[in-house]
Amino acid sequence: MNQNSRPQTVSTAAIVAAGLRKRYRAEKRFRRLGIGAVILSLGFLLLLFGNILSQGLPAFRQTEIALEIEFTPRLITADPARGNYRALARQALQRAFPKVRKRRAKKELYRLLSNGAAFELRRMVLADPALVGTDRRCWLPADDLVDNFLKNPESGKKRLSPRQLAWLSQLHNQGRLALRFNRFFFTRGDSRDPEMAGILGALCGSIFTLLVTLALSFPLGIASALYLEEFAGRNAFADFLEVNINNLAAVPSIIFGLLGLAVFINLFGLPRSAPLVGGLALSLMTMPTIIIAGRAALKAVPPSIREAALGIGASKVQTVFHHVLPLALPGMLTGTIIGMARALGETAPLLMIGMVAFIVDIPRSLSAPATVLPVQIYLWADSPERAFVAKTSAAIIVLLAFLILMNAGAVVLRKKFERKW
Amino acid sequence: MFLSFISRQPVKNTTAKKPSPGTDPARPATAGEPLLEKSRLSCRHLDVFYGAKQALHDISIDFSGNQVTSLIGPSGCGKSTFLRCLNRMNETIDICRVSGEIKLDGEDINRPEVDVVLLRARVGMVFQKPNPFPKSIRENVAYGPRIHGLARHRDEIDMIVETSLTRAGLWDEVKDRLDEPGTGLSGGQQQRLCIARTIAVSPEVILMDEPCSALDPIATARIEDLIGELKENFTIIIVTHSMQQASRVSQRTAFFHLGHLVEVGSTEAVFTTPRHHLTEEYITGRFG
Ligand SMILES: Nc1ncnc2c1ncn2[C@@H]1O[C@H](COP(=O)(O)OP(=O)(O)OP(=O)(O)O)[C@@H](O)[C@H]1O
Ligand SMILES: [Mg+2]
Repeated sequence: MNQNSRPQTVSTAAIVAAGLRKRYRAEKRFRRLGIGAVILSLGFLLLLFGNILSQGLPAFRQTEIALEIEFTPRLITADPARGNYRALARQALQRAFPKVRKRRAKKELYRLLSNGAAFELRRMVLADPALVGTDRRCWLPADDLVDNFLKNPESGKKRLSPRQLAWLSQLHNQGRLALRFNRFFFTRGDSRDPEMAGILGALCGSIFTLLVTLALSFPLGIASALYLEEFAGRNAFADFLEVNINNLAAVPSIIFGLLGLAVFINLFGLPRSAPLVGGLALSLMTMPTIIIAGRAALKAVPPSIREAALGIGASKVQTVFHHVLPLALPGMLTGTIIGMARALGETAPLLMIGMVAFIVDIPRSLSAPATVLPVQIYLWADSPERAFVAKTSAAIIVLLAFLILMNAGAVVLRKKFERKW
Repeated sequence: MFLSFISRQPVKNTTAKKPSPGTDPARPATAGEPLLEKSRLSCRHLDVFYGAKQALHDISIDFSGNQVTSLIGPSGCGKSTFLRCLNRMNETIDICRVSGEIKLDGEDINRPEVDVVLLRARVGMVFQKPNPFPKSIRENVAYGPRIHGLARHRDEIDMIVETSLTRAGLWDEVKDRLDEPGTGLSGGQQQRLCIARTIAVSPEVILMDEPCSALDPIATARIEDLIGELKENFTIIIVTHSMQQASRVSQRTAFFHLGHLVEVGSTEAVFTTPRHHLTEEYITGRFG
């Protein structure tokens, strides 16, 4: 029919066919561009991961020395908590190298072991008092210079004396020197000695802080989003709130730290460096994100669902809680996880409320002094000891693993709520 | 049957009473008999605005109980808007303003003290586009009775689900998959599910906005039978684009045009002896 109105020679098909190649070319070009962008970003990501993994993985192993420890009751005393465990360790070293007599040589010998060896012995005795009076072989952490030597023999050699190298090779030949899984890294808090520094303190701090953040910002954020989107009418006040929430989401995070310092610590008198205060400050930061994502998720629920529920006489609250919220929840969870991921990686506001302190003890409560993973990374990256370089990367690996775990949890939750019908 | 209406149409009869267009810029009053002696639902001077745009102009009409009234008119003339006034669904649209009086059993439904939940339980609605809940078929039908507390026990609810689906002509197709999602049904099945959902709460007035537009002739016939059954106990107002359907199911017909109620009368009168030239042109298919 159409052909009649046009010259016979040019059919629609011919015109379309003439333009087809151009269209496909444009499509191909766009595809190539897209693939290029994906490959580029993946490449950078791989580079980053590769770098961090190669630097951080050695920190998961730690040089240890096996020594025959004689748990002498005289040194441990009546109160095992206050025993002289350093002497215990030295005595064992002496026993392993009886020929070392001179004071200077002895000092060098003792330096093979970490200061943490005494802590480790103390921990063992406290955990099992029956050890006292026995004699057994124990693996004790070596000094970070020894550790460094085992991991990088070429450069590590220079920091040890020839005598120390000889002792080490002797220990090695006896099978008493080995790289073993670094249990200290996962069971201890921060330490001045890199070989004894662990991530558990910061990990617990992060978990506590995030728990506080989640417990506050998720319910409050969702409730605000629901109220603003479903119940508050469109008026000047609602517009005012909206503008302010959007602004709040864009406020630099350090401001929330200052606010936390002024309000929670100075005004309310909450303890410094505590996960409770950190969580409060971070929820201020996370809540706007959750509100905005929540409102977007609510807006995306088709109005026909609301009409259907209202049309058979459901009240506003029933409509929202029975029909709208379940459909919006996956989107809200996505927003929440984005906010929580940001909170997990945040340092600036926590510096303001004192979570940057050097804290050895693992926090046991919300008000105990603590630090968090990113702050720990910052602290270690700032430390002069070479061994902290690997620790820093290892801490980043832990942080990333935590993040991935958290995201995976969110994906599982979202899948659970997301019914495609 | 419908065609016979048109062919029998006595043209000279209608021309005499027809108000000529353009004589009255403010529009003449509605032709026919919009007002009734005894009515269930009555509207007076209803105006509806969407923002600055007026969608309905001064609508006055009565609906009597136990009767089916069909609303016809070209697309965009305000049929859905009018229907949505009757259970205050227009309130959910921010920019929509309604003025005028709508009385259900003598009580003005637009007064603020009237409970809108109760009103919508009494005045049920089937929407133009099927909108089942993204839940199971059973849950779709059971939801209304459950929130209103019409049935407490599981077997009571199951009874309501079965009777409602049967009356909507859907039971045989879905009885083996009541726990599957309602949104997984075909468009026509979804519309029947929505009808079942509406009748499950036994409203007194049922508003149906083109309930059969997505249905095949068999399902349409089933719904039309259902409407015939329901009219014994309920007041039914149905929007339809099918003249045949209007003439088959309804006792009264109202014709809307550009936001005005042009003509109301018994279905037979409107189809055989339309008083307004617009009505005549519309039902004979000369425009619209
Ligand atoms: N939500 C809305 N916002 C703004 N204008 C609207 C809205 N809904 C309807 N309208 C306008 O009101 C007028 C009447 O619409 P309505 O939906 O009532 O028409 P209708 O008679 O039901 O048409 P159809 O037969 O196509 O369903 C139309 O001009 C439409 O543009
Ligand atoms: Mg409509």
